[in-house]
Parts: sequence; C-alpha cells; structure tokens
Amino acid sequence: MSALFGPGRGRRAIVRCARFGVFGLALVAVLAGCRGMPSPWPPIHVNPNMDDQPRLDAQQASPFFYDGKGMREPVPGTVARGELRLDVGFYTGLDAAGEFLPQSPVETTDEVLARGALRYSIYCAPCHDERGTGTGILAEYASVPTASIHDAQRLAYPDGQYFDVITNGFGLMQGYAYPIPAEDRWAIVAHMRRLQQERLERLAARTGGAE
Amino acid sequence: MARSTAAPGAWEAPAYWRSLEQRADDPRVRDHYEREFLEGASEAPEGLSRREVLQLTAASVSLASLAACRRPVEHIVPFVQAPELMVPGIPRHYATTLPFRHEALGLLVESHEGRPTKVEGNELHPSTLGSSSLWMQASILDLYDPDRSRALLAAGEPSTWEAFTAAWGDIAAGLVQSGGQGLAILAESFSSPTLARLQRDAQERFPQARWATWEPISEANAEAGASRAAGVALVPDPHYERARVILAVDSDFLGTEAGVVLATRRYAASRAVDDASPSSSGMSRLYVAEGIHSLTGANADHRIRVRSSRIGAFVAALAAELARQGLGVSAPASASPVEGVSAEQLRVLAADLLAHRGESLIVAGRRQPPVVHAAVLELNAALGNVGRTIEYRIPRHRQESGETLAELVEAMGAGRVETLVILGANPVYSAPGDLAFAEALSGVANVLHLGGHVDETAAASKWHVPRAHPLETWADASAADGTLSIVQPLIAPLWDGKSEIELLNLVAGGEDRSGYDLVRQTWSGLLGSEPGSESFESRWLQTLHDGVAEGTAEPAAEAPVSSGALQELASSPAPGGGEGLEIVFAASPALFDGRFANNAWLQELPHPITKMTWDNAALLSPATARTLGVENEEIVTVSVEGREIELPVWIVPGQADETVVVELGYGRTGAGRVGDGVGANASVIRTSRSLDYAQGATVRSTGRRHLVAQTQDHHGMEGRPLVRAAALDHFRDHPHFAAEMVHTLPPSTLWSEWTYEEGSHPPPGVRERVAVDVPVYQWGMAIDLNACTGCNACVIACQSENNIPAVGRDQVRRGREMHWIRLDRYFSGSEDEPETVFQPVPCMHCENAPCEQVCPVAATVHDAEGINAMVYNRCIGTRYCSNNCPYKVRRFNYYHFTKHTPEVVALANNPDVTVRSRGVMEKCTYCTQRINAAKIAAKREDRPVADGEVRTACQQACPAQAISFGNILDEGSVVATHKRSPRNYGMLDEVVYTRPRTTYLAKLRNPSAELAPPAAPGADPAHGATGGDESDAAAGGAEGHG
Repeated sequence: MSALFGPGRGRRAIVRCARFGVFGLALVAVLAGCRGMPSPWPPIHVNPNMDDQPRLDAQQASPFFYDGKGMREPVPGTVARGELRLDVGFYTGLDAAGEFLPQSPVETTDEVLARGALRYSIYCAPCHDERGTGTGILAEYASVPTASIHDAQRLAYPDGQYFDVITNGFGLMQGYAYPIPAEDRWAIVAHMRRLQQERLERLAARTGGAE
Repeated sequence: MARSTAAPGAWEAPAYWRSLEQRADDPRVRDHYEREFLEGASEAPEGLSRREVLQLTAASVSLASLAACRRPVEHIVPFVQAPELMVPGIPRHYATTLPFRHEALGLLVESHEGRPTKVEGNELHPSTLGSSSLWMQASILDLYDPDRSRALLAAGEPSTWEAFTAAWGDIAAGLVQSGGQGLAILAESFSSPTLARLQRDAQERFPQARWATWEPISEANAEAGASRAAGVALVPDPHYERARVILAVDSDFLGTEAGVVLATRRYAASRAVDDASPSSSGMSRLYVAEGIHSLTGANADHRIRVRSSRIGAFVAALAAELARQGLGVSAPASASPVEGVSAEQLRVLAADLLAHRGESLIVAGRRQPPVVHAAVLELNAALGNVGRTIEYRIPRHRQESGETLAELVEAMGAGRVETLVILGANPVYSAPGDLAFAEALSGVANVLHLGGHVDETAAASKWHVPRAHPLETWADASAADGTLSIVQPLIAPLWDGKSEIELLNLVAGGEDRSGYDLVRQTWSGLLGSEPGSESFESRWLQTLHDGVAEGTAEPAAEAPVSSGALQELASSPAPGGGEGLEIVFAASPALFDGRFANNAWLQELPHPITKMTWDNAALLSPATARTLGVENEEIVTVSVEGREIELPVWIVPGQADETVVVELGYGRTGAGRVGDGVGANASVIRTSRSLDYAQGATVRSTGRRHLVAQTQDHHGMEGRPLVRAAALDHFRDHPHFAAEMVHTLPPSTLWSEWTYEEGSHPPPGVRERVAVDVPVYQWGMAIDLNACTGCNACVIACQSENNIPAVGRDQVRRGREMHWIRLDRYFSGSEDEPETVFQPVPCMHCENAPCEQVCPVAATVHDAEGINAMVYNRCIGTRYCSNNCPYKVRRFNYYHFTKHTPEVVALANNPDVTVRSRGVMEKCTYCTQRINAAKIAAKREDRPVADGEVRTACQQACPAQAISFGNILDEGSVVATHKRSPRNYGMLDEVVYTRPRTTYLAKLRNPSAELAPPAAPGADPAHGATGGDESDAAAGGAEGHG
C-alpha cells in the first residue's frame, strides 16, 4: 500500500484514476446515448451458445430449397404409416368413378350435428355467416364475394361436393383439409344440410302461412 | 505382454489385447492407455486439415462470419396450403425399400416435415425384420451428399432433360431401324419387377442389342453353383437359426455377403442361451474356414486358417472325411491334405456335422468358384440339411442373363458398340485393370451414363443423367424370399434426378413417363387388375402402407442335386502357387465396392477387425509380414501381372499366411470431397479371369511410410476384466462365472446410494411439487455380448440419430473421433490364431458417476430417471469429466466440427437433437429425445410408457438384437429380465463401484470338447479362490496401474 502512495507515485496514480474516470464517463455517456436508437441489425450476441444450429426445425427457412421453405410437401401418392385410407369416399368425397358422393358416408346423428355446428362456427361462420348466407365479417368489411349455401346452384350440390370444397377450397376459399379432420368435415356438411333444410322449412312455413 | 501372475488356483482370465503393439507392450502404445487424451490431442493441428472432411462450401462461410457477433435472424416459414396430415414437429414414418444390388432392404424412414432424417428397418419386411445394416443407416447421408450430381451434362456442359430426350430420340430412330445393332446396355444387378419388364421391352424393341451386367462384388458364383448342381437357377436361403453346427467356408455371412441383416438375426437366434436354466442351455457351434480375417471368422468357435484358393481342397478333404465316417457322398476315398488343417480338426468337424444331420449347415462364400458352391450343396443334401437348415428359391424379377463385362469390353474394342447406356454402374472405376475399360469406352461414340455422382464414368461419357436416390424415387423390388415391395419416395428429387426405370423406359419405349406410372403399370400385371379399379387401388395402398405386398413370398423350390462337383473338386489340381503371394480382393466392410465412398460416416467407421479408418491397406499376417520384412504403416507396392498399386501395410492377426488381402472401394477420384484420394483402388490389380483372388502377387517395400488413422488403441481401458467370456460348458457348471471373475470387498461409496424412487435426489422443495401418481421410470440398458457380432450398425445408427460429426483422418489420428458408441475389439491367444471378442461401449450412465463429481459447472448431472445428462450450454470444456471417466466414453468437440456444414447436409441432421458446438463435451444420452417422445405420447393417452416403446437408436438398428433398453423397475421388462441373468455384469463396477446402468451379459463360446481351442476363454474351470489381486489377472493387457 505504501508503494502505491509513495512519493511520486501518488500523483501518477491520481492522473491514472482521472484518466480512467474521464474514459469511464465518456463510455457511459456514449452507451447511454445509444439508448432508444433503432438499429437495423439484430442485437449483439457474443456467445453463440448453440442458438443457431445446422439443422432444420419445424417451419424453419432453408436456403437450400428454391422456395426457401424447410418443410416439404409429401410426394403425391405416398402413404405414411398409420395413414392408410382405403375408404376413398370417406376421405375424398368421391366414388370409385370419380363422381361426387350423393350422400354423406357418415350417418347424421345429434352428436354429429352438434360437432358440425361447433366446427362450422369456428371455421366457416367468419365468412359464410352462422346461417350460411355468405354475409360474414369478411363480406361485410372487405366486400369479398362469399357464396351462400342457400342459392339454387349450391342447394343442388351433392354431399360429396361440399366435402370436396371444404377439403380443397373453391375460388378464393382455401382448402381446410389441414385444420379440419375428415370426420369433422362430414359433420360440417351435415350441419350445412340442416341449415339448408331449416331455411327451406322456414320459407315453406312463411309462404304456407301467407296462403 | 506384462501380466502379473495370479495367486495359485485363482481364476485366470484370458489375456486380451487390442493390437499387436499392445501385446508386445510397445511403449508407444502404452502411452495410449495411460493418457485420457492422446499426445497432441489438445494441440492445434498444423494447417486446418480437418476441413478435408467436409471441405466447406462457401455459402455458409460468409453468412457465418458476417453474422457471427449478431443474434441470428430466424424466420418462420409455414406452408401456404398445409398438407393434410403433417403436423409441424411431429415426425411421420414411411415404409419403403432400399434396393441394394439384387437385395431389397425393407425400410421405415422417419420424416420430419417432409424431409427424411432417419432410416430404420421395416419390421414387416422379411429382409430386415425391423433391424438394419450400417449401409441402410448411412443411406440417409448419401441422399444429402452435397457432391451428388446436380445437372444433366452433355459432353460435360449443363444441359436439360428435354434436350437429352430429343437427342436420344434421334439416336433411337436409327437404332430401331437396325434392330438395335450397335446398342449395348450395361446395368447393375437388380430384383425389380419393373426393371425386369423394361429389360424385356428393350430386348423386344432392340433384338440385336447387347445387355451386360457388372457388379464389382457379385453373388454370381453362389447362384451359378446352385444352378450347376440343380440344373435350374437357385438362390440359397440359409436358416442359421435352425442349425446346431454351422460351417462357413470363406463366407462372411455376418459381414459383407448378401442378406447380412437377416443372417445376423438368424445366427444370433441360434446362439441364444437360456439364462433361466444354464445347465440345459444349448447353442449352435460355428466353424469358419477362411483366409482373410472376416467378421464371421471373428465370431467363430473354431477358426481354421485356409487360404481362399485352398478352400476347394478343404471342402474335398472334408467330403472324403465325411465319406470315411459313413456319409453317403460320392467323394473320393482320400484327399490330399490341406496346409493348415490337421487331420484331427477334419475328423472332429466331420463327426460334429454327422452327429447333427438335418441340423447342420455348410455355407460357402461369394469368392469361391461355382464348383465349391455346388459341392457344398451336395454335402448339405447328403447331410439332410436341404429343406431344413437351407432352402433354395428360384430368383424372380432378376435381369435376364446377359453378357459379362469382359465380353462387353471385347465387343467395344472390336468396334461393335456405338451406343452404350450405363445404368448406374461405375465401370471406369471398378472394372478390373486388365480390361482397360476406360480405353475401350473412348472408342464408343455415344455413351449415356446414369449415375448419382459425376464420377469416373460420368467424366468419360457423352451424356450424364443425374440419378435419383432410392429415397427420391418410385420403384419396386423383390426380397430374397420373393416378397414384393414398392419403393416410395420420401421427398421430391433434390436435383431433378431420374431413376433407372425412367431412363430405361425412355430407352426401351421411347416415351418419357414418370416412375410412378411405370411401377403402377408393372403392378397391374402383378396384381392382375387395372389401375383405378377398386381391388388394385386398395392392394396398392396397403402395399405402400405396409412396405410389403402380403402373401407374395415364394415357397422353397425343390433342389434336385446332381453329383459330380465333389469329384471334380478333389481331382482339380492345386492352384499353381509358383512365385509370389496369394492376393484376395475383399469387399470393404464400410464402403462396400466404393459406392459409399463419399459418405463421411462410413469412411470414419473403424473397420471391425483392423480398426482402420479413412484408408485401405495391404493386409498381411504377422508371419508373412516378418518374412517380407515389412511393418505396419510401411508403404508397399502390390503388383499383379505388371499392374501395381501402393498401399500401407497393416498386420492382421489371424489372417492366413502367404496371403495379401486388399479391400475394394477406396482410391476413388470422382466420388466427391470426402471420398476422393482416400486409399488406393484395388480394382486396378484385379483381373477379369479371377476377380476375387489370384496367385502371383508381389509385395515390395517402398521404404516410405503412411500414417494410418486407426482406433484400436484409442479409448483403452486397462487392467481389469472388461470383457468377460467363457465356454458354454463352463457356463453350465458355473452360471455366475462373470461375477466370479472379480472378487472384492463389499463396496462402499462416499456418495449417497441411488434409491430408485421417484425423483431420487430432488433439490429441496421439489419433492413437494412432484405428483405422486406420476409413473416412475429408471432407465437401464443391457448389452448381450453373446449376441453381438461386431457389425457396426449401432455406431452408424447412433451417428445418424444424434447428429454426430465425422472429423476426418487427421483428427482420428489424434484420438478425437466422436462416436458415442464404439466397438472395442479384443484379441486373445496367439497372434496367428487369435480369438476375438467385440464389446460395444456407450456411456454407462453410472449411478455413482465419476464425471459428475468433478464437473466444476454442473454441466453433467443426474436426472431423476437415472440418466447421466449433459447440459451442453453449461459446459465450459474443462474435460475433467472425460479424465475421470473410467470407460472413456466422453467425446470432446475440439473444433466446431459442424460450423461449415453445407445447407444440404444440415437436412440430414435430427431436429430433435442439439448440434453441438466447439468446446463442448458430449456423450451417449440413452437417446433422451426418444424417451421424451414416448413419455409425451404416453401422457397424452394417460398411461405409463410400455416396455419396448422406447428404443434407442443402437437397439433399434441391432440386427442381432443384442441391446435391450427400458425401465429396470418394471420386473417384466426385457431389460430387467436380462439384468437378472447370471451372466450379467457391470464393467469395472466391482473395482470403482460406479453402479453402471448399462451392463453386459458375458459372452459364451461353444468350442468342441475334442478340439482344444487355443487359449479359449474360460477353458480352465478352476475359479473361486478368494483374495488374489484380480485387477492383475486381468483383461486389457498392459500393466495395471490402478
């Protein structure tokens, strides 16, 4: 300790301290000055810590593929384990000849209808409206032409065609095969059939009442 | 070798040694055993030669350097239109088939978001039964090989498929007029119904065309032999599991012959003992007569060294001995003696075979000429084995018999070939040197080459079409028993490759059709219904789903035997020995015939016998090396008929004398950045007359040396009985011999004992939060050394599952190889006639783990389920843990081995496993990602994890089913049953009391009582004396210092 405060050394120590102090203050000022300044670069990351690994996680981008997607579509026609779908009609809505099934392969029970109503209100109602009139919020706010299930053309659709439209989409509508399992799609078809029927009954009752 | 003398009467374990240097107590090697890290392992290499391994593509380099100090920006890239059944993060599995020569290997491939990442065997497919070989495992890295051919080439310039089809249309128009005059097609062997159909189409369209077949390593001899004896084309189907006595003559049926997965499964079944009643246990006995030291020879109970050229004489002598002992074969009464085979050996072998009529089995190897195979068939028939232990089947869907490569080259040389279509083969590299194929090829006007790489042949071809990998294509195949299966693609071709059926269809039919349509067209004929019909579609979908077409297996064919081969064999003169050595060309147990040369996993896989990596060598027996005055790593010139190659010498204990063995598959020049320039091409000194072995080879020293990267002394553990083995008779009398090999005081430990209760050592306060009805698992593993054949499939499976990098030759030389599971190979006995034991060594997951006590940052800790876990992000790389590990199973990332992984290679990595960085210690995790996946699945269904639901990668791959894994608290689980076996022992447990969770079941041998085996382990029944210094009466060899 005495060496530190010995003659001659004290002044040098003070100068050194002062220098550090000035430097330190300048550093604090510079760093503080950076606060709130936006940077186009991501934050400095000194320790990589295996945050970025040469492997592809789900939904990660990959520059290897032309479209930048790391996820790839399965090759058409392949069958994964546990995904054997021998009942072609149930999963496509088409019969062996490639025609739409006239009738749903799923029996319409109260449970199926309840399930269909629930799924319909989640996935379909935002555009097609709870009544299926095609006047959901999308039509309302964005003037997107949305089909009604009650016009003459769509009343004539066979069940299989409804299933096909839900599965693969139609016009602006995306396919919903991924979020809605096949049995739920048939349940939605059953629910839509009931909506149509109820509306026809209401109409009949109204016109009948008028007569 | 320095071995202390044990107390008189004490159990004396056989002296095991890993290398000849260790056996001689060479000080250079002693150093390997005394140090954890090899000399220089901690120092930087001169130059950055590690980059030779995956020499880096530039794309990721710039990215890495620029973004190095900034947090990486990641984008989520979802599907716009998501496929119906693909949930991101949940892998799916596809059954498909890997055509491998004429074999069909059933696969079940794991796919993460539409990208295949891991290959397993398909449990429904008869060729694999759920297990896999190292080549199946490594095929995933081949798919993502960055050096694969990326574009169609016309005279070396990038072109398009459309331009090619147009050009071919012009050529074909001329060919159709001439009936195919001047056209030749060179194919690999196959067993595909579609290819067979297209071959017939091609021959119909071009009746004058030539069709030749070339496989550098072919099974043609076995098939020719069977058809010679029986008059029809037949393929043998040996049932090792039904045999009690097996004789393999020059046959490596556990290593490189066709059908190794099934053969290993069946052989291991024949070796199973009943641990519950040791006294009544029986197992098969394996005799092997061979010249090279193969994996099968290493597993033999009795190994007889006979040069490959003398195998025929050996079979004749055996037949004579069998006839003398009363077997009705038309063999000459006496046969000339065979050097190296004693009359006593022949007598005992013949008596053993005769005592097990109908339960014995003789198999001959691929290298032997047809007459030997025919003779073996005669013997099997006389012994009553045909139809019992060996069946024959009529091969279906193979190529129609064609010309040999030699005949094709002759036609090419005579100018009779103007257009040559090469379907996948690489003859410029693999053709025997005497054919001068490349010269002949230069005289052919139009050469079309289909190949996975721009390889040696592609460079010499006018057109090169990139070949799609089997995981990218539609195709089909038939297994050895006739079962048909479809090859379905896991991913669209990465580089617009075409399959051989698509190219052959263009050649044969002139149309450009998709493989999908072509396969469906074939199958409509096979199934007898039109595509689109309901019966076809349901059968097709079922076949795709299962990976096999049910009910298509063929019944065994009658094998009428005509005699004559034995007589011919006995009367054929001994090969003109004359000057020089015998040279044997063997398939590489890693690279096979060179088709896997650009696969870094396989290049770095230690050879099962020599433990060499990244090289082939001139393999010599110790005596022959002494005679020639050469030693290990000395470069010699091996010359045959004036053609020569240079190779380093490697001395192999147990190889036949006067023989030099050279493995094929090395010395590629057009393989890619990994395979080029590794080793020397042995095809150069092959001759088309004698492809598999030849006389008159000379070996001259060049005086130079080549440093070989071999691992046989790496990670050595010394001084204690690490691997334990005994004879079956000894086991019957002393079931607990493995435990009795070591006597110690009751162990005690400084640390608290593992309690096996839920959350054994929870931090304070945690116990209260743990729900009591959570199922309790304590994971453990048992490895049955008696089943393990040393095939290395587990090593590659682990590497694939756990993203383990290959590090390159230079790093292997420094002892930095990263394999989490290694196969220790121990010899015992003399250097000429050693016995071999294999021991797979992963992390032992010790309950009293020494590594955990010394980690200063708690980067390696125990979890509540008994797993010794690594927390990579905590690790600061002190390597104390590795120093303190008695099993040497920890691996340290000396470099950022994965830093420059090309984008396409990154696709092969398992997304469920961390890719480790520099400075991090790593080791076996018991495949903790698989354990967690099973626990999550079980929890979703509100049930405990069932036994067998969690399978580690090594366990799932193992064709011998040597590895069991599961919850050791579940009394009924397979692993708990194994751990109750009297053969169960924990390696080093008695000495250091680590309580390893991975235990071993001791190996048994079944030598004949009449043939005293050379220093067979456990031949001496004396044991049981207490005291003594067991760590001295020890395996592992070098002087104990513990």
